[in-house]
Amino acid sequence: MSALTLKLKNNLLFTLDASLLSPEYLEGKTLAEIKELKISYGNKNIKLQKLFTIRGTDTNNICIEKSTNKLINVGKKLSKGSINIKGDVGDFLGKDMRNGILTVEGNAGSWVGNAMRGGRIDITGNALDYVGGGLPGDAFGMTNGLINIKGNAGSRVGDRMRRGLIIIQGKAGDYCGSRIHAGTIVILGKVGRLPGEGMRRGSIILAKKPTHLSATFKSCGNLKMQFLRLFFTQLHNIDSSLSFFNKYGPEAHRFSGDLARNGKGEILILQHYN
Amino acid sequence: MKINGVHIDDTFAEAFPMKATRIIITAMTLKWAYRAANAIRGFASSVIACGIEADIESELKPSETPDGRPGISVMIFAMTKKDLDKHVSTRVGQSVMTTATTACYSGLDSDQKISMGKNLRFFGDGFQISKVINNKRFWRIPVMHGEFICEETTGVTKAIGGGNFLVLAKTARLGLAACEKAVEEIQKLPGVITAFPGGVVGSGSKVGSKYKFLTASTNEAYCPTLKGQVKSELGPEVGSVLEIVIDGLNEESINEAMRLGIKAACSFGPSKGICRISAGNYGGNLGPHLFYLRKLLE
Repeated sequence: MSALTLKLKNNLLFTLDASLLSPEYLEGKTLAEIKELKISYGNKNIKLQKLFTIRGTDTNNICIEKSTNKLINVGKKLSKGSINIKGDVGDFLGKDMRNGILTVEGNAGSWVGNAMRGGRIDITGNALDYVGGGLPGDAFGMTNGLINIKGNAGSRVGDRMRRGLIIIQGKAGDYCGSRIHAGTIVILGKVGRLPGEGMRRGSIILAKKPTHLSATFKSCGNLKMQFLRLFFTQLHNIDSSLSFFNKYGPEAHRFSGDLARNGKGEILILQHYN
Repeated sequence: MKINGVHIDDTFAEAFPMKATRIIITAMTLKWAYRAANAIRGFASSVIACGIEADIESELKPSETPDGRPGISVMIFAMTKKDLDKHVSTRVGQSVMTTATTACYSGLDSDQKISMGKNLRFFGDGFQISKVINNKRFWRIPVMHGEFICEETTGVTKAIGGGNFLVLAKTARLGLAACEKAVEEIQKLPGVITAFPGGVVGSGSKVGSKYKFLTASTNEAYCPTLKGQVKSELGPEVGSVLEIVIDGLNEESINEAMRLGIKAACSFGPSKGICRISAGNYGGNLGPHLFYLRKLLE
């Protein structure tokens, strides 16, 4: 069985809510039925085949080709299977995702993994703001799962996240890890101002020194963190593509905070890589 | 049946169901991992009075441990899951956490779990940190040597305890040499342990006693000093009987351990004082797992 492949025919003028393009919704449907499905586009409901060239039968593995940032809600409530996106994708990638794998071979918009509860999101390019963050009014951001971004991310990565792991292999913007309740954020590139602002618990692991750290974080000194040794070894076990973490040692400068929120979180700045 | 001139009794070893777990102890060096492992397996020779039976299963290379440090795999057996839960927590707390630079992880995946770091985390007095990595929860407990990391739970599985064989020798010295070789062979196998000191039991027991408060007492039929006093199982040539007790994860692993162990003991032969191989059984009253010596050696 070949993956169900949807290739965008033309550039989109309006945003397209792609939440229907998920294994759960398409399961059991024939190719003909899928082509006839109606999807909300602009102020109309139009058939899927008017927007996409559709082939393949395996609804558990979906591929979206020639994707653009007008596609929003891709992988919404995804709970199984995989969705592979070739091209860019818009906001709310993997919103409410519970399981499965989302792969983007391009850039993503804001709110990647918003309210995510499990599964994995891989992005080869960049992502905009609020990766793994919660919407205004939400108690929490992501509550589990893994987001791995090879490029850069915007500001407020992991805002209010409750659990899970975010890896940004490039740079991250300001207020990274703001108000996080728990979970782990790893930034391998430069990070903007005030990481960990308002964090209560959780870990922010930085490979480079931040440009500005809040005064409400207190230094615990340079330490060999046994946790880092376990963490980097386990990342290698999760996926061999993360095996490069093995080169990072357990030596880190630990800052605890945010003390303004009676925080018991930590910022670990890896040594030897600054 | 004879192996290398050593008579194999037509009898069986009788074993009983247990619950088991495996934990992995890592440390800065193998030496310190051994210290923790030796501490946790101390006073864990028999469930009769220790609550659990535990021993080192194997050494682990850094590539085989969760944190990439040298480690030791320890297997722990108890009669019930509840017993295991109680003893694992206390022993990890007192024997592993107190050993410098150690960490403790689960070495057994199973749907049934018992607490490990789940209880120990409170030692952190509010400064403990939970981390979920790869769907496993670890507790980071700040301690004076740095951080003690302990997995929240460890898996529990059905297991078998009490696989055994007896080495009947002319003297204790000769019997012990054969037993040491047998234990050495058994320790190469995964999934089995010999929990008694050095893997050898010097005072094998029978079930019950003339004293009502005692659940086990000396096995007089195999005591050389009582040969003329009781209905003895020993011939005139036997001057010492040593027992090797094996706990394992399943019948196959105990079968293999007994087979290898008996063959190793028999390799010494009558010329080196090994007279007979027998096994401890209680007429089938103790447990449902019966290991017939001759059958497993065929």
